[in-house]
Amino acid sequence: MPRSRFFPLSRVVEMNYPTVYSITEDEIDINELLKQISLTSTGAAAIFTGMVRGVTTRDNVHETAHLEYESYKPMAEAKMKQVADEIRERWGTVEGIAIVQRIGRLYPRTPTVLIACTSAHRDTGVFDAARYGIDRLKEIVPVWKKEVGPEGNTWMVGNYIPKAGE
Amino acid sequence: MGVHSVELQIPAHTNVAGFKSLLVEKFPALMGLMDHMLISVNQEYAFDEAIIPDNAEIALFPPVSGG
Repeated sequence: MPRSRFFPLSRVVEMNYPTVYSITEDEIDINELLKQISLTSTGAAAIFTGMVRGVTTRDNVHETAHLEYESYKPMAEAKMKQVADEIRERWGTVEGIAIVQRIGRLYPRTPTVLIACTSAHRDTGVFDAARYGIDRLKEIVPVWKKEVGPEGNTWMVGNYIPKAGE
Repeated sequence: MGVHSVELQIPAHTNVAGFKSLLVEKFPALMGLMDHMLISVNQEYAFDEAIIPDNAEIALFPPVSGG
């Protein structure tokens, strides 16, 4: 008899969907993360990584020697889990989710953050899901970066004020 | 402030707004910064009216800028 006769289908499926999230000082291992969020049913992965930009030519033109990241780790990881939950509420087709923020001193050409979502096919909203993930991380996950360049140090400050329940 | 964390005794049923006032009294250097700080209580964002529970972990920080 099929298992779904005994358990609500959604629950069975949910248990099999991997969600990984972490704040880490280690290099982001894209292949390893992809392995962790891929199922036999997975046919697509949308992977976004933010990187340290050494030369900025848009808006405020400047150079960056490195960035220094700090986090309020326990809350940051809880908020990453929340971002993953929000993705699942909006895109039921997403299978695996990985959200990783690297902290510490990071130099140009280095990935600093990764959001990856997998699904059966590419036309299931998986690109939008990953986009939502990075946008949301930048709103509610307590991580900060200090930019160090030829003109000194600047703590970057976000402009999003979370609302109650976020 | 020169400290990473402190332990404070506050009256029962103090809300976030009251807590901010107490904190500025104790650390006047925070005066100008308080309006630009986000506050979390037990790792959830909290706002002026929220009552602070017993043994709460409270954090003050600027709007986030990760990624």
